[in-house]
Amino acid sequence: MAEARATATGVGRVLVAVYGIFALSATARAAVQIAGKFGNAPLAYLLSALAGVVYILATIGLAGTRPWARPLAWGAVVFELTGVLVVGTLTVLDAGDFPDDTVWSFYGRGYGFVPLVLPLVGLWWLHRTRAR
Amino acid sequence: MYDALALATLVATGALAVFGLVLVALNRPPGRELKIAVGAVVALLAVQAAIGAVRAFGVSLPEQSTFLIYLAVSVCVLPIATQFAYAEPTRWGGAVVAVGAVATLVAVVRLQGLWVPSG
Repeated sequence: MAEARATATGVGRVLVAVYGIFALSATARAAVQIAGKFGNAPLAYLLSALAGVVYILATIGLAGTRPWARPLAWGAVVFELTGVLVVGTLTVLDAGDFPDDTVWSFYGRGYGFVPLVLPLVGLWWLHRTRAR
Repeated sequence: MYDALALATLVATGALAVFGLVLVALNRPPGRELKIAVGAVVALLAVQAAIGAVRAFGVSLPEQSTFLIYLAVSVCVLPIATQFAYAEPTRWGGAVVAVGAVATLVAVVRLQGLWVPSG
């Protein structure tokens, strides 16, 4: 049985970089929204913050080499995929629930649909580097 | 913000992304040339950020704090990405720099959109 490969090597570094940038942008966006105009759309802004935390956890999980890094990455990426699918579907069905955009609104349309593709790439990479 | 300077940074970050991806295609780890290119682009971005920050305090923007955050992001992303890229010298280092360059390009586009001065 081969050891699991580190997720932050080779092409995995590109993935970590993309996750890092999303962690930064989603968290900063949520911080500005919550600090400046929380009353406008509390649900959307809390969701932005949640997305930011998920991206941070995914980045830490994918960049790390400790034993807990891989399960953390799995959890965060699966949560992220669920989030973008649920929020994307909700916003397509009824945009009224989310008066202000989040990272995951309309399957991440505001971010070039990267939020939809990213967890799929993440899952593929975690699967490829697993112990077997 | 000056349109000419913003245009120059957009072209520079775009060219840097292409440079990084060419290194990936050629299967070459990032070397000295890419580092110099990153330095030049970051210098350009720093000039833009300094001018943008000074001018932002003289006018009234609808989203002043967001504008300033984007200014900081536009300067900081590439040095961090470059550090990360060079920590492991494989062909993918060029792609990491390219990702940072594209993110910076997006930040500059957002900056242009946020620059709606009044007063």
